[in-house]
Amino acid sequence: MTSKKTLRIVVWVFFLGLLLAFGSIYYVFNMPHRNLAKETPSFTLSATQLISEFKKDEVGANKKYLNQALSISGQVKSVRNLENHGMVFSLEDAMEGVSCSIDSVDVVKYKSKLSTITEGTKASFKGRCSGMLMDIQLINCVPE
Amino acid sequence: MKKLCLLTVFGFFAFTLAAQNVYLTKDAKINFNSSTPIEDIIAESNQATAVIDIEKNGVQFSVLTTSFKFRRALMEEHFNENYIESPKFPKATFKGKITSSMDWKSDKTTTVDVKGDLTMHGVTKEFTFQAQITPAKEKIAASATLKITPEQFNIAIPSAVREKIAKEVTLKIDASFVPYH
Repeated sequence: MTSKKTLRIVVWVFFLGLLLAFGSIYYVFNMPHRNLAKETPSFTLSATQLISEFKKDEVGANKKYLNQALSISGQVKSVRNLENHGMVFSLEDAMEGVSCSIDSVDVVKYKSKLSTITEGTKASFKGRCSGMLMDIQLINCVPE
Repeated sequence: MKKLCLLTVFGFFAFTLAAQNVYLTKDAKINFNSSTPIEDIIAESNQATAVIDIEKNGVQFSVLTTSFKFRRALMEEHFNENYIESPKFPKATFKGKITSSMDWKSDKTTTVDVKGDLTMHGVTKEFTFQAQITPAKEKIAASATLKITPEQFNIAIPSAVREKIAKEVTLKIDASFVPYH
């Protein structure tokens, strides 16, 4: 009688464990992409400040900012529509400023807000820093 | 200042920047595909910077490795953290030259040979590949495909997942250059 009971418990625990293991594997495998809209920025600073930090010490700035959520504000110098329906807003300098790119899904989602951001206006974006080429790039951006 | 900075990034074109022979894009598309029958592994970046110098027939590309987007977030994480090691090597660059003849005045699509050095994951390797170039006065369209293997760039792939990732990775580049003033 008792051994039957133990067996039942063992079987239950085993199946529960299996379910949990599969559940977590399934979750990790299909985990969602980062949603910048829901993240609190690790740093809030002006585009000018970010540019000067990267130009002074790129390696150090990469250590500090790479993959972090940043909130960057500055004057919009160029607005570009990409072939894949995404958008890029360059802050402070069209060539060597901070380029904030918006994914196509977010272009649709924030359509009315983005339409107010034109060349010459002040704007603020939250995005993930991916480093510097000529410009400093912020990806998966959302307007603030 | 602008030219000085361009110079540090694209030092290759040091003496030609003043002339009107440099074409640039900041929205070049790089797509990579290492799919196998077991798993589709496709990623794309629309944020590569590329330069063509039509006088010296020079070509250069740079891309930030974290700008590649994958279908699965987990793949993106593995790509950045385990394989390409973005925090350590945030950029991938190609510097090369068009080695076959190219008539920039024609507006026909020409297939050319490109030879140069591809650097990523801290390793530089020489590659020769073909590219299709369609020149126009205000816009130059170019595309190229090249095949690389992770092993060439010292990217170790654990044997448990080796079968899921193609032996040869195909890189596809699409760019539409405009004159740089």
